[in-house]
Amino acid sequence: MEPDTEQKAPRKVALIANCLLNQNAKVCEGAHYRGVVSPVVEALRRRGYRLQQLPCPELAFAGVRRWWAVYEQYDTPAYRDHCRRLAQAIAPQIEEYLRRGDEVILVGLDGSPSTGVRFTSSAPDWGGRPNRPEDDWRLVARRGIWIEELEAELARRGLPPLPATGWALDMGRFDEAGSRRDLEEFLDRREKAAASQGEDPAAP
Amino acid sequence: MSEDARGWRIALVPDALINSPAAAAAARPDVLGVLEVNGYGVLQLPPPGEHRLLLAVIADQVAEYSHHGYAVVAIGVRGEAGDGLHWRRLAPLLRHRGVALPPRHIIRPDLDAAAEGQRLGAFLAGYDLPVEEQRRWRV
Repeated sequence: MEPDTEQKAPRKVALIANCLLNQNAKVCEGAHYRGVVSPVVEALRRRGYRLQQLPCPELAFAGVRRWWAVYEQYDTPAYRDHCRRLAQAIAPQIEEYLRRGDEVILVGLDGSPSTGVRFTSSAPDWGGRPNRPEDDWRLVARRGIWIEELEAELARRGLPPLPATGWALDMGRFDEAGSRRDLEEFLDRREKAAASQGEDPAAP
Repeated sequence: MSEDARGWRIALVPDALINSPAAAAAARPDVLGVLEVNGYGVLQLPPPGEHRLLLAVIADQVAEYSHHGYAVVAIGVRGEAGDGLHWRRLAPLLRHRGVALPPRHIIRPDLDAAAEGQRLGAFLAGYDLPVEEQRRWRV
């Protein structure tokens, strides 16, 4: 493709959770890879997606040495304000993609209290001394706080909801093969939908 | 933290190296691949333009890592404005947060891509914090 044509053609853009490119952002004992989560990157790049890393809200708010936490602990006015500030920092780029006609998807982190898309972690009674037994929390089908605030910011700008899925890293027992299959199916459905609308799903 | 796989090393990487235009991709090494092999995480820098708030957010993250035992480097690319690193804005933001500027490695697209990939790999493999700093934090 000629450079000028390439610059104008609609692109495929994947907004991805910060820790999918940087596992150092994970809470202690939460990193399953050294740095890049390569199965996610490979699946997206193979289909021609540009990658757009989202900021990590927990790292910037509570630091790299933060305790594990659930949705209810982060559901505070101060944390939501912080997430709104991050959303305002990244939203102009997302808006630019959408205004130029790019296909934009979101890949979050299922199970995360902040970046969960299909599931977040819940335990309304967590608090105080951090000595809860393992797995003393449950998954609930809802967004994490950060994704809620990001979507709200995009809606405030009059932008449409984004097709979204989550890499199931924070669901308890991590199943890489299952997560990969899940992501591939989501991406394949997007390609089929685009093809049925007469678009070229392979267009960069 | 025995079951934690983090690599404790992070690279600031321009958008142009993560999302190389097709026309330029063949002339550049696969930077994400080299980073992955060497166990680095990525902090993506935005494309050219005004990104005041986003760069401040990135500087906050770099400061948090730098103050807690993580090694941070920056990888630029010759031919992009400011090597793609937004250094004129990012450097003062980092200094303001008490962070020493990360060592920089610049990719040269005018040279052989495979050789540049090897040069990048050698830079990444050879860099880390002093051992006493690693021992202090990485337990």
